[in-house]
Amino acid sequence: MAPNWSTPLGRSGRQALAFSLVSGAITHAYHVFQYPLYVTDEGIYVQQAWSVVREGMLSPYTYFYDHAPGGWLLMAAWANILPGQFEAFGNAINTIRVLMVIAHVISVGLLFGITRRFSGSVSGAFLACFLFNFSPLAVYYQRQVLLDNLMVLWLLLSIYLLSRADNRLVTAMGSGFAFGVALVTKENALFFVPALAYLSYKMASGERNRRFQLQFWWFAAAIPVSVYILFAELKNELLPSGFDFNVSNPPANHVSLLYSIWWQISRSGPQGRNLFVQLMEGSWLSRDPYILIAGCIAVVLVLLLWSQDRENRLGYLVAGMMAMGYGFYMVRGSILLDFYVVPMIPVLAMNIGLLYAAVMKKAPERAKIALTAAIVVLALIIPGGYFVARGTQGNLQAHDLYHLEVTALQEQQIAWVRKNVPPNSRLIIDDDMWTALHDVKPYYPRAHSHFKAASDPAVRDKLFRRNWQNIDYVIMSNKMRAAMERNNGNGAENYMLDAIDQHGQRVWDLNRGGIHLAVYKIEK
Amino acid sequence: MESLVYGALVTISVLLSIQAAHILYLMIYTWDQDVGELTKAPEELIEPRLSFTAIVPARHEEEVIATTLERMVHCNYPTTLLQVIVVCSVDDTGTIDRVAEKIDDLRREGLYNAELVVFDDLPINKPHGLNCALQRAQGEVVTIFDAEDEMHPEILRVINTVMSTEGVNIVQAGVQLMNYGSNWYSTFNVLEYFFWFKSRLHHHAKHNSIPLGGNTCFFSRELLARVGGWDETNLTEDAEIGLRMSSLGEHVRVMYDDRYVTKEETPPSLGQFIKQRTRWNQGFMQTLRKGTWRQMPTFHQRFLACYTLAFPYAQALLGLYTPVALLLIFVLHTPVPVALVSFIPVLLLIAHFLTAAVGLREFTDAHGMVPSRTTVVKMAFMWIPYQLVLAYAAVRALRRQLSGQGNWEKTKHVGAHRTTLENEEVRSGA
Repeated sequence: MAPNWSTPLGRSGRQALAFSLVSGAITHAYHVFQYPLYVTDEGIYVQQAWSVVREGMLSPYTYFYDHAPGGWLLMAAWANILPGQFEAFGNAINTIRVLMVIAHVISVGLLFGITRRFSGSVSGAFLACFLFNFSPLAVYYQRQVLLDNLMVLWLLLSIYLLSRADNRLVTAMGSGFAFGVALVTKENALFFVPALAYLSYKMASGERNRRFQLQFWWFAAAIPVSVYILFAELKNELLPSGFDFNVSNPPANHVSLLYSIWWQISRSGPQGRNLFVQLMEGSWLSRDPYILIAGCIAVVLVLLLWSQDRENRLGYLVAGMMAMGYGFYMVRGSILLDFYVVPMIPVLAMNIGLLYAAVMKKAPERAKIALTAAIVVLALIIPGGYFVARGTQGNLQAHDLYHLEVTALQEQQIAWVRKNVPPNSRLIIDDDMWTALHDVKPYYPRAHSHFKAASDPAVRDKLFRRNWQNIDYVIMSNKMRAAMERNNGNGAENYMLDAIDQHGQRVWDLNRGGIHLAVYKIEK
Repeated sequence: MESLVYGALVTISVLLSIQAAHILYLMIYTWDQDVGELTKAPEELIEPRLSFTAIVPARHEEEVIATTLERMVHCNYPTTLLQVIVVCSVDDTGTIDRVAEKIDDLRREGLYNAELVVFDDLPINKPHGLNCALQRAQGEVVTIFDAEDEMHPEILRVINTVMSTEGVNIVQAGVQLMNYGSNWYSTFNVLEYFFWFKSRLHHHAKHNSIPLGGNTCFFSRELLARVGGWDETNLTEDAEIGLRMSSLGEHVRVMYDDRYVTKEETPPSLGQFIKQRTRWNQGFMQTLRKGTWRQMPTFHQRFLACYTLAFPYAQALLGLYTPVALLLIFVLHTPVPVALVSFIPVLLLIAHFLTAAVGLREFTDAHGMVPSRTTVVKMAFMWIPYQLVLAYAAVRALRRQLSGQGNWEKTKHVGAHRTTLENEEVRSGA
């Protein structure tokens, strides 16, 4: 029989949940428009959402199935219902960042519910949510417009519905469908399939409607995926032309879903593993070593705890499997970006919460409250913890997340462009400013990201003709130069780099700490 | 013009999707809601207290009537509390002779509770026969069994317990076609009964808007007399009386317990199947037009009744729309969003099929059967043809209804749900 996890929340549970939701809203919403910097990927998803609303297309450029569109369709729906649409909260990325905050708050509620049901412990659930809310690693990425944040929402919803254990078919359907939406929001949800499939199987086991539960879970999960595949087929873009899957020589006739999937899978190698170590050291551990180290230890112990009481700790196995599944994805040697850690954060938080619940199981209620409060307070007041940081002079201050105003620098750059660059200019830009230049007057219809100028035939060959002389300005975002060089394996960025290095005149720049922004006018 | 076609396509797809989703929900209702325990038969049966009259309307049932009668009078209920009436039209001499012969046999065994009622007036149909028999009924509870029915020997004790302890006036017990492997359509036909009686009727009963089944339905005789019996002009008198009872506020207790279902057979040929389905569809159309359902007190009751009764119209429209849709596939290159919307009904069709496949496992498990491995494969191939047959029967019903043809097209019974041995035993006993 499936476990009975449907115990009442109680007064203390409701208070803990309310605190978690409110604190999650505060940590993520406060200063969300000022920090962190708008990054390339945020710009890409927002421009694609913009294209859905403004052009009825999945992308302003050729959509090549790099990601399934579930995420930016939701963003488009969000922007579409707002007065002012993409500019409702100042600019397009801010507007979608508000959606990220909402998604986070909902995710907090779901994580709380899941952890409490898996562990039977309010304090375990509370601790998991505290980490999910306050970890600088979490806040940094969860504020950003990332498909992973929305995928996490759907994933948690799917698990939450299963954990309700109400034996209803509509619940199984809802859970399956939510997971299907997670898959078409960000494909890396695939690595949670073993855990989710096992959980759905166990929740149905021994029930009178087990066959229907399983049938509907899988069927509902397949719906969004099948619609996505059908979409590709209807556009005659499911298979590559000539059935050619050669990754070193992309078929020229048309894009293809299956080719893109094959290309993504093939992008693995030893460099990926090095990348994992680099990101772990450079991006993740530096932001929050606690959740990563404690989380990894917790996964091992959670699985050990499950092995000692398999009957009553199904949720422990599921949490462990989730960590293992996604962990495999991260370390297997694929191409990795820093924000790929996002789905791991709630999973590690959940494992820590479950471990804490098991350790504190026999402790008196007051001891649980006291210890949990102590952990929270210490995490917030210890310098280098979750809220207090040491400044460059050694002074104590709030964490960068809550006081640095970095996006204002990017706003200044765009303001300068609007004032000084004619709208009909041919611009090389980064994606983070794309929507600002296309959605707000004066429009810059010939502003394109260096990625598209390097790879999209319509931009590269027709507008710029791979010639530096066809570029008027290059608007450099932070670290854009490094990105151009990384993307220049086949020399596709050379004409842009030539334009900057050989013919560019820096007409505006701004340097603050590690942030470097510039505008180059290309002299002909 | 093109945008009009697309608009129509999207509208039809959305409506079909809503309809298919609702039907799917009704199919799985009992597995979704925790109603299983509430609708099961009681485990403890009380001593027989109520008297029963079992009416068996028969027409050209020479092949099966003796077995049915034999089984009914030998059920586990005191003969003093059971009256069995076989009712026939005077022109059906074959059945009359067979029944008379069987009654003589029973009397030689000392069983005097079976009798034959013959009527010689019009119309010659089931509801008229039922009303004739009702006049001779003496039991406190009146029930109907069809001539080919294989009633469970304990069913009267079960109903005696339910009606006595729960104080209900109407009980609809489960009816189940059994011969799922007889021919290509029988699997689907069996599953329709399975989902209808095991699941959907519980939803109808909960909302007190229920088209009753044609047999294994138990009424308080006093109640039947008060409402004037069955509607003799209606081809689905069972559904009509159910909705009439609902509009009077009578609660129907639905009981589907796999152990106690009345076993039946699918029509023996496709032609017979289409005739039966045509009659049901036409009966629903008649009941819709009659409008008793409008007297139901709540909107939800009226909606559910109207929705159920209007379904044959929807199915007929679907039947007419299908060739158009097939044509559109080849001549119309729809925009991608329109094509995606029109894919939703297909998804639901797949969901229906998968539900049927799982339902087959549920059904065979419940009745101790083992489906062959190829059954589901056959189902996959025959699913669409079966839907087309249903659509054809709905179109046929519509045509008959519009042309004023309202005669009863009888379904032939051959006893395919009974084992050969069982039939031989009964004959040798006779």
